[in-house]
Amino acid sequence: MTVFIVRRALQAIVVLLIVTMFTFALLRAIPGNVAVAIMGPGAYRDPAAIKLFDSTYGFDKPWYSQYLLWLGHLAQGNLGYSWNLNQSVASLLANRLLKSVVLVGISTILALIIAIPIGVIQAVRRNKFIDHFFNGTSTVFYATPSFLLGLLLILIFAIKFPIFPAEGPQGNGLGAILSDFNALILPIATLTLITVALFSRYMRSSVLDNLTEDYVRTAKAKGASERRILYRHVLRNSLIPIATLLGLSLPGILSGALITEAVFNYPGMGLLFYQQAQKQDYPTLLGITVVVAVATVVGSLLADITYAVLDPRVRYT
Amino acid sequence: MSILNVPPERPDPSLPEVGLISDTVDVAPIAPAPEGEAALEGEAAVAAGILPATKPRSAFRRGLEVFLENKLAVTGVVILVAMVLFCFVGPHVYYGNTTAVNFAQETLPPGAGHPLGTDSNGNDVLARLMTSGQISLEVGIAAAILATVLGVMWGAIAGYFGGALDAVMMRIVDAVLSIPVLFLLLVVVSLVTPTEQVLIVVIAAVSWLTTARLVRGEALSLRVRDYVQAMKVMGGGSTRAVTRHIAPNAIGTIMVNLTFQVADAIAFIVALSYLGLGIRPPQQDWGAMLSNGVQYVSDSYWWLILPAGACIIIVITAILWIGEGLRDAVEVRLQRR
Amino acid sequence: MMKFRSKAIVGLALVVASITALAACSSSSSSSPGAAASSGTPVAGGTATWAELPASTPNYIFPFDSSAYISVTNSSQFQFLMYRPLYWFGNGGSPTLNQSLSLADPPTFSGNNVTITLKPYKWSNGTSVTAQDVMFWLNMEQAVGATDYGAYTGFPTTVVKNIKAVSPTELTMTLDKPVSQSWLLYNDLSQITPMPAAWDRTASGPSSCATTVSDCTAVYQYLDAQSKNLSGYVSSPLWSIVDGPWKLSAFNADGHVTFVPNTAYSGPVKPKLAQFQEVPFTTDAAEYDVLQSQSSSSKLDVGYIPPQDVPAKPADAAVGPNPLSSHGYTLSPLYTWGINYYVVNFQSSVSDHAAIIKQLYFRQALAYLMNQAAVIAGPLKGYGTLTVGPVGNNPPTQWLSQQGKAGDPYPYNPGKAKSLLTSHGWTVVAGGATTCTNPSLCGPGITQGTALSFNFPYASGSAWINAEMTQLQSNALALGIKLNLEPKPFNQVTALAAGNCTVAKIPCNWDLANWGGGWSFAPDYQPTGETLFMCGSIANSGGYCSSTNDAYIDKTLTSSDLNNMYTWQDYLAPQLPFMWQPNAAYLLSEITTSLHGVLPQETTLNLTPENWYFVK
Repeated sequence: MTVFIVRRALQAIVVLLIVTMFTFALLRAIPGNVAVAIMGPGAYRDPAAIKLFDSTYGFDKPWYSQYLLWLGHLAQGNLGYSWNLNQSVASLLANRLLKSVVLVGISTILALIIAIPIGVIQAVRRNKFIDHFFNGTSTVFYATPSFLLGLLLILIFAIKFPIFPAEGPQGNGLGAILSDFNALILPIATLTLITVALFSRYMRSSVLDNLTEDYVRTAKAKGASERRILYRHVLRNSLIPIATLLGLSLPGILSGALITEAVFNYPGMGLLFYQQAQKQDYPTLLGITVVVAVATVVGSLLADITYAVLDPRVRYT
Repeated sequence: MSILNVPPERPDPSLPEVGLISDTVDVAPIAPAPEGEAALEGEAAVAAGILPATKPRSAFRRGLEVFLENKLAVTGVVILVAMVLFCFVGPHVYYGNTTAVNFAQETLPPGAGHPLGTDSNGNDVLARLMTSGQISLEVGIAAAILATVLGVMWGAIAGYFGGALDAVMMRIVDAVLSIPVLFLLLVVVSLVTPTEQVLIVVIAAVSWLTTARLVRGEALSLRVRDYVQAMKVMGGGSTRAVTRHIAPNAIGTIMVNLTFQVADAIAFIVALSYLGLGIRPPQQDWGAMLSNGVQYVSDSYWWLILPAGACIIIVITAILWIGEGLRDAVEVRLQRR
Repeated sequence: MMKFRSKAIVGLALVVASITALAACSSSSSSSPGAAASSGTPVAGGTATWAELPASTPNYIFPFDSSAYISVTNSSQFQFLMYRPLYWFGNGGSPTLNQSLSLADPPTFSGNNVTITLKPYKWSNGTSVTAQDVMFWLNMEQAVGATDYGAYTGFPTTVVKNIKAVSPTELTMTLDKPVSQSWLLYNDLSQITPMPAAWDRTASGPSSCATTVSDCTAVYQYLDAQSKNLSGYVSSPLWSIVDGPWKLSAFNADGHVTFVPNTAYSGPVKPKLAQFQEVPFTTDAAEYDVLQSQSSSSKLDVGYIPPQDVPAKPADAAVGPNPLSSHGYTLSPLYTWGINYYVVNFQSSVSDHAAIIKQLYFRQALAYLMNQAAVIAGPLKGYGTLTVGPVGNNPPTQWLSQQGKAGDPYPYNPGKAKSLLTSHGWTVVAGGATTCTNPSLCGPGITQGTALSFNFPYASGSAWINAEMTQLQSNALALGIKLNLEPKPFNQVTALAAGNCTVAKIPCNWDLANWGGGWSFAPDYQPTGETLFMCGSIANSGGYCSSTNDAYIDKTLTSSDLNNMYTWQDYLAPQLPFMWQPNAAYLLSEITTSLHGVLPQETTLNLTPENWYFVK
């Protein structure tokens, strides 16, 4: 197991390098002068300033030397500086990451708490009314575009019946965000509804798979009660794909939910990425890519480890 | 972005034979059992020597029957066919203004000459709905097919050979997954004009990863399945293993995955249009219609929102139902004929 | 056997039904236009909250902005509240000099000498605003302006010499050639923001940029570095020295900014509010949602309504119906002092497109295909004005000629467009591809069989620009002209097309481009045209070049005679150096009825919350 983890970790680092290199190259592929794009619409007024900018930040050098420079800074913990937003990337990410983690993290955990029982009920009561009811509603929520769902929730619960605010918490810092929890309800609801749809389908499918397993039959033959079978064996094994799903959700938690953030005026990582990508803000984009790449790789690793731990039947070749 | 299709990355250690499920009290039957039939049937019954051997029905026919019994799946097919007819045949039946910009006629409510009103450019909403649907459906289906082809090839090779090759190929999948999709799209949009073809390629390029994971998992698991091992012990070649056992199972899973990919691709293109990265004007897809329409959500211009939104939701739902019907149909363990 | 369950459909129907029901129920209650402001007794104090434009947050405090940071958000809506420019422009809605709010009397001219006399203003640390503080800025401009001042025009170096502070309240400078007095004031002196002596330092200690130009580079770098520390804005001993009506009490990089009155402000209008807050928004839709549903945690006193949500305004009215009047808001459109246009590239590197674009008849044909009036009445709901030429017409100022007042030089006329093309050797194929069949008539450099097909990047994200472009494309296609629209993010369009591609040495592979915002005249308040239209000017986006035009512009720069302005603009407007397009309202402001003093809003976009007060 240790060997496996170490090997995967090394692979992970290679993956990270490839990802960042690819991102870097892609950024440079965008046509146009980087200085002009980054310095804003007025930059064209100062050709001298553009030249100065290019030579200061090495944009007149080929992309691989630029990349090595950036990599060197990264090794020292310096994520760079966003000219467009006039802040260090690290402080930008810290602020936005917190908001995204709170929103998407809470939504994911809530979705899990709701989806697991629903999935189990659906599987156990397969093809009965309750199965179809949950199936129907989860399908519809899954199929609804998130911006439409968010807008509907705002229309109903913030404007028609002013129960919740129409925008997410505006404070910065964990205390400020959580103290305005009322404002988090609608954005969390939007994300949770869609995520529950996904998780419950998986749970249902997984429980069904396990209900047909030999060990269920064996346990019955040995005289175990239905409930005992369900909780001791089926549930535990059914959670395996969910654990995997969670691991794979980690990048999503860190990269935020762009559309929900835009709709609810809650600027997190997703919105940051989108807005800065339009402005070719290299340092910020690279910083976010690193964070998301790390999360993906770690999440994938965790998912594999969890699976190996939970299911001893698995062999890794 | 949806992760609907990401399967747990595990070999499936279950046995391929028909699992016998007791019909005891609380556990609901997990196969659509014809009422009144006994628990033991089909191959198991033959094996047990209880029933005389009848001519075995082919896997395909069995699957088809299971599928047709699933009312939701059938409804899904009907809806999808209706939608396809609406989008592709409709414009030949109903003529509406979809191109000329006429601000004097903008955002009219449904009325004479415009059963669903007009949009912000003065175009007829019903006619636009049809032509937009063509694009949404074409891109969705084509992207899903392309993604599946790529993913199957990649995953099959990785899973079959295993070892170092598998590790490298899967790490490449990890790497591509780590690149924020949005970013990729913005780069692409700034480099090339996002025509339908470009969008198909782009969506396929980010969707093939989950298929690759899935197929790799299947290939890996099928390699270690008892029956494959058993066949090898008995002297059967790997070709026989692949064609008689692996392929039918894998194809089934792939078909199911393909269906879900279509649903995801359509949802994806809707999100793209909302972000302004979708198809270029004057063309529109349902996503562009909907995201233009939601700007008016406070103004009760429901005809700009409801038709496009309903089409998206209905089509994706129908496809999901079909996918689930297919999944039930190909689950070998559930077949009790 | 499974019985058919319809419950799965129930969920679907629910969602679908709710959309209908709610969309129908959320009817905009259109009531009387511009509900009368409640007259009541003014109360002192209170906190007014103002909505920032979507995705525009202040992020630079040092009032010497480089290209990356020069913007309305940073200067007019943030820095100017604290650090007053020497001369203030914006007078009852007109972009003219506001003498009472300026820090100096209007400059006096005698021969070649210009004298500026400062009024008695004080910084919040007790020191006076002196001529030395003005020198500080002028010296810095001389030292680093070319590379680090975003609105650099060559002033003061190319315009004046011998700048001297002769007394604490008097500054003199000498002109080395005759200049228009109004131009000097409106376009050059308008750039100056006096800076306190306490800023004249580097990390190691006080410096002397105010007296020695060569010291200014280090001082600029120090202040620029200080300005990069956003979390330190409030506590900084430098930035807390202000001469404007406000000072910062809270600042967050995400855009939440709070000001409190500067009790030491020497100007005529003192703040009545206890606090002024700016709050950020991701999109205008999100802001509108908040406007409609205020709660204890999010209230807005001055916001804006997205153009697509406002009912159409009757053509002759200033303001139309307001869906928010029942929520206690007054609607007031705010226009920018500027002009709007999309650019044509006289230097396009795409095959022979440059040769086509250089032909005036072709540009005229394109202009006749742009239906400005329909765009204003349609997507802009009436809240827009025609752009008639290089001089803005909203509001009409003394600089606007009679011809300008007459309106659009090329009102929509596809018939004229077609005859222009056919009379110049083009075969027009409606809906198809119009080609040049008689090159001798088409023009030099245009080959036989060339089709009229142009690439056209434009800034995505604005509903009315989308509609306008789609309409233009459709109108053009009716004459066989293909405009291949390419929506791109705003920054990419400006990076591509805002600068003169030859001068800026960037690729010229675009034909037409539209970033949707044109040009706003700030701090170049008098629209004299040297920045936008002279040969070889870097902001001359398309590269239009005419010696006649240059000569006319020179006259406007050297003499204040208004006739020069009229002659020049009457020549240039029909020449179509840019393709004029409607000037949309900058904002459709929604002002809470209990807040007075907000109107009239300035077209220079300067934010003046010191005028605001609540009433009971």
